[in-house]
Amino acid sequence: MNNEEAKFILQGYRPNGTDAGDAAFRAALEQVQRDPALREWFARQQAFDAAVSAQLNAMPAPAGLREAILAGGRVTTPDRTQASWWRSPAWLAAAASVAVIFATTLALWPKPAAADTALADYVLADAGKDEMHGGHGTESLQAMLGDPANRLSRGLPISFTALRKDGCRTVTYEGREVLEVCFNRGGVWFHAYIGRRADFPALAATPAFLDKEGMSVAAWADDSHVYLVASKAGRAALQQLL
Amino acid sequence: MASEIFNQLVDAHYTPLFRFALSLTRNSSDAGDLTQQTFFIWAKQGHALREAGKAKSWLFTTLYREFLRGRRRAERVTALEDLGPVEADPPAPEVDVVTGMDAGLVVEALQEVDETYRAPLTLFYMQDFSYKEIAEMLEVPIGTVMSRLSRGKAQLRAALARKESAGRSKVVAFNQPSARKLS
Repeated sequence: MNNEEAKFILQGYRPNGTDAGDAAFRAALEQVQRDPALREWFARQQAFDAAVSAQLNAMPAPAGLREAILAGGRVTTPDRTQASWWRSPAWLAAAASVAVIFATTLALWPKPAAADTALADYVLADAGKDEMHGGHGTESLQAMLGDPANRLSRGLPISFTALRKDGCRTVTYEGREVLEVCFNRGGVWFHAYIGRRADFPALAATPAFLDKEGMSVAAWADDSHVYLVASKAGRAALQQLL
Repeated sequence: MASEIFNQLVDAHYTPLFRFALSLTRNSSDAGDLTQQTFFIWAKQGHALREAGKAKSWLFTTLYREFLRGRRRAERVTALEDLGPVEADPPAPEVDVVTGMDAGLVVEALQEVDETYRAPLTLFYMQDFSYKEIAEMLEVPIGTVMSRLSRGKAQLRAALARKESAGRSKVVAFNQPSARKLS
């Protein structure tokens, strides 16, 4: 490597020394050590680069720019779909296959989802009847449900049999028993419905929501139970429980 | 959580992004707009980034692309790669002259460098990116980055020398007629 080649390469060597470990500069730096003229050039070059760099990095951003960006970011909605993926024939083919599989599965499935929507409809109707409620259920369960520290979707240490024995209000939906208890959290009333998982196998672990006529219901399941919680306070209030 | 990440990204990168934008647009207002636009694109699409560590280079690359996109609307890009060999090292102002200059003057000198060289040169002087990263961001080969740095530095030295000389000529001796008129 001659000095001109070394100079060309060393133009990319940052003055803060970050590139010291980069093998691409090794030969040029060795040449710097060997040649006094090149060493002098490199020292001048680095000093000049450091001075320019310091000045550039001292340039402040205008006042208010940060706040404007943050405010704009808050009202910018993320794209949930990427602009280009669907243009790819491979993705398009994969998406079409998934759609066919999904449609076939849906057609052949024994339609439990409809039953669960019907259960949610039933819960919404029942929870809307004010005269049916007003403090049913055990106090300990109400306290547990009302405790703001409890995230309901993380599971509840309950027993369907024990709750029914303790006098929890029991309703029957299409021949299957569902327990109901009202509870208050932060001044808002909720109605919790608890069923056996075996009776409602199609309910998913991930909470699903349904809004109807001023009432909202969240439904989810764990290994033993299904849970539906209804309230007039809306979906956001239900999400805070979960 | 997403807004927390957004806030952190803004705090970490908005100032260097603005500096880069300023060197490209040569105008503080346009640079502010370009910086904001870049973050809004992140807010729309950036969540899809698989590696959080790539956010910084993604932001700089996006800002550069947005700048090019906006500029192409107004004018044709001039290819500056074939303008001849790099001139030999022009006389550079002394380092203490650069150090003594106002930061705004140095940025002005940087803005006088041809745009093709200005983008890699600014990224180089920000010292946040290696020549390899600059090559990736600008989508040019590594050799081209080195070449542009070399040419860009030569133009910057010349621009700084002009500014230094212009600064000196503004100092008027008291015994000159123009000095007496001023008093």
